[in-house]
Amino acid sequence: MGSMTVEQVAEAMYALVKECHGKRNLRATDLTKAMIDKIGAESCDKQMCKEAIRLLVDGGRCTYAYLGGSYIVLPPETC
Amino acid sequence: MCPAPAKRKTDIGAPHYDKFLPPIIKRNYGNWRHHELPRPGVVVHVAESGDKLYSVRAGSPRLLSIETLRLFAAIADEFSDGYLRFTSRNNVEFLLADPAKVDPLIARLKQEGYPVGGTGASITNIVHTQGWVHCNSAASDASGVVKSVMDELLPYFESMTLPARLRIAFACCLNMCGAVHCSDISILGMHRRPPKINHATLAKNCEIPTTIASCPTGAVRPATVDGKPSLEIIEEQCVLCGNCCAVCPSMSLNDPGDGISIWVGGKVSNARREPMFSKLAIPYLPNNPPRWPEVVSAVKNLVEVYAAHARRFERMGEWIERIGWPRFFKLTGIEFTKHHIDDFRHAGESFKRSVHLRRPPA
Amino acid sequence: MTEKKPTPLLDNLEAGPWPSFVKELKKSAKSPMVQDLLGVLERSYEDKMGHWKHGGLVGVRGYGGGVIGRYNELAREFPDAAEFHTVRINQPAGWFYTSDVIRTLCDIWERHGSGLTNFHGATGDIIFLGARTSEIEAVFGELIEAGFDLGGSGSCLRTPSCCCGMARCEWACYDTMALTYDLTQTFQDELHRPSFPYKFKIKSSGCPNDCVAAIARADLSIIGTWRDDIQVDRTAVTQYAAGGQIDIAADVVARCPAGCMTWDGRSIGIDNESCVRCMHCINAMPKALAPGKDRGATVLVGGKATILGGALLSSVLVPFLRMEPPYDDLKELIRAIWDLWGDHGKNRERVGEFIQRIGLGNFLEQIGLDPQPEMVAQPRTNPYISYEPKEGRP
Repeated sequence: MGSMTVEQVAEAMYALVKECHGKRNLRATDLTKAMIDKIGAESCDKQMCKEAIRLLVDGGRCTYAYLGGSYIVLPPETC
Repeated sequence: MCPAPAKRKTDIGAPHYDKFLPPIIKRNYGNWRHHELPRPGVVVHVAESGDKLYSVRAGSPRLLSIETLRLFAAIADEFSDGYLRFTSRNNVEFLLADPAKVDPLIARLKQEGYPVGGTGASITNIVHTQGWVHCNSAASDASGVVKSVMDELLPYFESMTLPARLRIAFACCLNMCGAVHCSDISILGMHRRPPKINHATLAKNCEIPTTIASCPTGAVRPATVDGKPSLEIIEEQCVLCGNCCAVCPSMSLNDPGDGISIWVGGKVSNARREPMFSKLAIPYLPNNPPRWPEVVSAVKNLVEVYAAHARRFERMGEWIERIGWPRFFKLTGIEFTKHHIDDFRHAGESFKRSVHLRRPPA
Repeated sequence: MTEKKPTPLLDNLEAGPWPSFVKELKKSAKSPMVQDLLGVLERSYEDKMGHWKHGGLVGVRGYGGGVIGRYNELAREFPDAAEFHTVRINQPAGWFYTSDVIRTLCDIWERHGSGLTNFHGATGDIIFLGARTSEIEAVFGELIEAGFDLGGSGSCLRTPSCCCGMARCEWACYDTMALTYDLTQTFQDELHRPSFPYKFKIKSSGCPNDCVAAIARADLSIIGTWRDDIQVDRTAVTQYAAGGQIDIAADVVARCPAGCMTWDGRSIGIDNESCVRCMHCINAMPKALAPGKDRGATVLVGGKATILGGALLSSVLVPFLRMEPPYDDLKELIRAIWDLWGDHGKNRERVGEFIQRIGLGNFLEQIGLDPQPEMVAQPRTNPYISYEPKEGRP
């Protein structure tokens, strides 16, 4: 893999979730495709995206939601 | 911003089954020779070693309180050294190495109100869903219908006198959380009116493009209602699948006119005839709680006609294939209607495309 | 304190010989949640409609599966049943328990929930029915300490499930419980963190009788079978013939779907080349006949119920696969399916529907399997063949 770290992919992913918040819900596959398109397949792959999602969710910056399918969204305001 | 949470234990998975197997099973794992059905509700598995395992099967309502689970645990302690299991059809089974305890166990289960049976050529427990107890998309209650039907069919649970096993399944909507699409008799909750839309909450609760995309027939269209973005349903295109309601909680199919349909002749086993889907017998019966008498009598009629006419080892679907659908409708007294003729995708596959007719009507 | 309301319609269902779910509800009714649940359900029995809403953000931290949000639309009237979430828990393979572990689960659920359960849910999980959002983390923590973890929901893998296989059945053609345990542990991430277009179910049956309905209910159905000859115990056949409980000519030979059996009144003949391994003769004479010794499984793909494009039975993907740990071939196949379906499946499109959309031939090519005649009931009858561009050149 190229120069991107999982942390950097996670940051780019988080920015996208934030940008789409309230407009469009994103699935794990949407995020993965968007990151590979944005960063390029030479620097980012599915496994990195998987780890980046886990980093965001385990760290509490994103959470899963269910609306007839599973989406990755910003958590509610309360801690 | 919230502080990052502490790391913790996750992803441990299921406990290993080995911890819960009785010694007789551990000793004979993979080395069973044959089994016998000495009486309803009792299966004896004989190992190559000569060991015999007695499984005693009792019906349960699937919805179990922890009080009842503790009762099962106490019964297991008393009769089966604490070992028990559940079947794929929600029966509870006690696993005994000591044949002397079989009769006292059966007496105890009956005394506690749990009938023993469901083995061999019987009607075993009805696989079912959550219904009005707990489900957002239920067109009927599951537990109430199942209880009412099983109260009536209990003699078939407690005996092994049918031509073959007869599997009944209940699902409270077309999502069919249960193998109702491949059961001898399927009881299926049906909605009959297109979704109702809560226009006040839709824009907040639902993604409009996702909801439109969820419709298999293009019946969900964007609309503006009271100045707010919302959706509308082209009623004549709607097939009542409920997929839009699953992605958009501001839409609901639930209606007092919901009811129940009955399907017959499906099976999952490969024995003899290949697995097959259940086919429509009765398109609609009303929800009539608490006892659903129309459904109970329809199911009972199907069981009785099948029991009287099928040959040994013939499942419901195999019997119907032998006698033909016209005779099935005649024998059961069920009316054949326009709704019985498929009009969804690949509908033509179910049309009769030969003149192989058994004694055509006058 | 929730006021106890009369439930005359439900009370009617306490009577009768079949075990009553209303009695179960009432046994748990010291929980105010269940007291209000009774009220909600009585209302449904009065107005003939359900009153539940689904979805939302409820779950344990880090997981996207395992907890299903349920909210009651009569919350103002029945506040203690306002939140009534489902917790799905990985069942031990084969659904075997000890009384001790049952009591451990009951104690956890008494401390943190309604006290209502399903043994088991339609997918095979242990179900705890009725948790408040505030209790979810506590339930999870105690379950983990007791050695249990959550099952799948949403766009996750579901907890694999199986028949009791070699633990109790002489017909098991492979160790269904060992496989199910292994797959459950191997795919924890897919179980807990939704990454698919929609749900994915794996069910394993030890023989073609398919006691867990794998062919109808699973996206991947693993059904035991054998390659060599049916084992025949001639002495036992004679005993069946003399016993009179079964008419070998009518009940066994005439019912063979392959027409591959003969019976001359003394000995049974089987043309094993023509046998379709349906199990009927073995089921009918369990002491005399048994599956062969060269055992494994047929792997099938695509089974599902109606929603959305109509019900499908799984169809053959690998006619025969040996089922031995570490099951690398099977896992590689599963990962290849997930990879392709994950890239190209639409939202809420099950893998069976995906295969119908792209074509089984294309699907096989993409996951690296060769087409085999065992995969179809018959070759195509329509001539709309999509030739590859390179095939079209002279």
